[in-house]
Amino acid sequence: MDPARSLGPAQIDVFAQLAVSTILLGGIYALIAVGLTLIYGIMRVVNFAHGEFLMLGMYLAFWAFTLWSLDPWFVLFVSIPLFFVIGLITYALVMKGVVRASHNVQVFTTVGLSTVLQNLALVLWSGDFHTVRPWHSLRATRVLGTAFNLSQVVAFVVAIVLTVALVAFMRLTHTGRVMRATAQDHDAAVLMGIDTERVYRLTFALGIAAVGAAGVLVSPLYAVYPTAGLQFVLLSYVIVVLGGLGDMGGALVGSLIVATVEVAGSYIFGTAWKEIFYFILFIGVLVFRPAGLFGQRGAETLGM
Amino acid sequence: MTATLARHRGALLLFAVAALIPIGVRDAYFLDSLVLILLWGALSAAWNVAGGYAGQVSIGHAAFFGIGAYSAALLGTRWQQSPWLGMLIGVLLSLGAGGIIGYLSNRLRGPYFTLSTIAFSQVLLIVASRWRAFTAGSEGLPVPFRPGFATLGLGHVAWVYVALVVAVLYWSIAVWLERSRFGYRLAGVREDEDAAQALGIPARRLKVIAITASAALTSVCGTLWAQYVGFVDPFYVFSIDLSVRFALNAIIGGLGTALGPFLGSILITSLETYLRAALSGVKSGFTGIYLIVYGLVLILVVRFVPEGLSGLAARLWARRSRSAA
Repeated sequence: MDPARSLGPAQIDVFAQLAVSTILLGGIYALIAVGLTLIYGIMRVVNFAHGEFLMLGMYLAFWAFTLWSLDPWFVLFVSIPLFFVIGLITYALVMKGVVRASHNVQVFTTVGLSTVLQNLALVLWSGDFHTVRPWHSLRATRVLGTAFNLSQVVAFVVAIVLTVALVAFMRLTHTGRVMRATAQDHDAAVLMGIDTERVYRLTFALGIAAVGAAGVLVSPLYAVYPTAGLQFVLLSYVIVVLGGLGDMGGALVGSLIVATVEVAGSYIFGTAWKEIFYFILFIGVLVFRPAGLFGQRGAETLGM
Repeated sequence: MTATLARHRGALLLFAVAALIPIGVRDAYFLDSLVLILLWGALSAAWNVAGGYAGQVSIGHAAFFGIGAYSAALLGTRWQQSPWLGMLIGVLLSLGAGGIIGYLSNRLRGPYFTLSTIAFSQVLLIVASRWRAFTAGSEGLPVPFRPGFATLGLGHVAWVYVALVVAVLYWSIAVWLERSRFGYRLAGVREDEDAAQALGIPARRLKVIAITASAALTSVCGTLWAQYVGFVDPFYVFSIDLSVRFALNAIIGGLGTALGPFLGSILITSLETYLRAALSGVKSGFTGIYLIVYGLVLILVVRFVPEGLSGLAARLWARRSRSAA
């Protein structure tokens, strides 16, 4: 998996390799987590089906590559509008009715959605593991004595561009301001004439578009199968809680922390145990800083 | 006494029917469904103590189920001990684990609490599936069948009665919760934790007690299930899907009601049995289609019947008596 292992220690500066690994991984995690935190920040809904949209993105890339030999880089451009529409449809069919409901209703609605999507994939495409191997996943890029496959580098760059674009959209545009206003005070936003329904619809669609694009980007790097989203979604919970649920800038930092823990943990203790480190980190954060590393104290006891 | 009997006539009728079925019916397939209905119902009743009565919605209860399943299976295969001893050890471990989880995630509310329970169950999944030397790792652990009550190597009829005893016991605990001071205080914490605390109710302590008790009850069923099915697969016993299943029955039947989890279990377990038979010829496998239906049921129920089957029945009953009057 890790190109560093096959090249041997003599050729590569281990720490440089680990550092670049961490950054590349962190960028991809950021794009996955940013949609989750956006949806939570504006709608106050933890989307337990987030990983399933990632999985659908991976399948989109897989089928496009297998049936029409389309490169995931090309599919990326199609995936963003496509997943935006999928987000709109999901919102209309499933989320619209529960956006103002209790936490329990929201949790179980999205959990139910996750079960449906996972098993739809299982029925339609079987449980087999698939891989997407475009030319760039087989080509190594060497920088400063480190080596990476090109897919990983491009996935990182695109993920960072998309994440920054999304953050900029939220901070700088009028629509972004309207969305943030709705998150801060729904009732006041309604009184100011904001169509909050439209805000929620847009938020959900943007979040899904981001994670769908992330699915396409990671498809050359990970196996594609119906529950492929699970490992990533658990990870993105860790990231968004670290960064403060709903805090998009925090999600970027959280991604880097989780990537550091994962890379350092696998290097020191072996890959078999790597997940346990971020769950322990997660539990530690929930216990000691539940509002996130930079969050407002007390947010967690409000269930915010 | 008669008033109590009258109030619970539905539940009593249900359990009486379950007790009578094995006398007339010897069909192994049917009895198997009955055992599973009772066990899944009891598991959801155990989940309901924390999720329904205390409002501590967990999607990590598979952790305690797995602890119960593994304790007995490991003691049985490695040290040839009775599953009853394994059940006891599982309960002790689950009390510890439930206490730790309850204590640590005490301050957390809403989705934060739910996320922390998932994290705990995932840690146990990783340990069980990777610690090959002790747990046999991801291959899972077969539980040897040794006939006799002491080793829980029982026939279908005996299993029905074992499951029935557990089901009635758990149902009684729920009935007690609905009528006791402890239960009222839990409901207070669930409805408004801050108000409850202002009234002098030790909310955090009660939540820890609720989740610890719920953990121990879940663990007992985990042991029974492993002995009944005969195999412990870490990716099943610690799965999020399983945790969701516990919650699902309770939600469909009615959150925070004594009978609800059993009604939910009857519906969901029968649906599973029916679909398994109906779709046995489908190539892509029954599990996927069954789980799609199950996910849809979950989405539709929380949206349109949030009070569950027992709430729906009560509503229809009230309407009927009103129109009769």
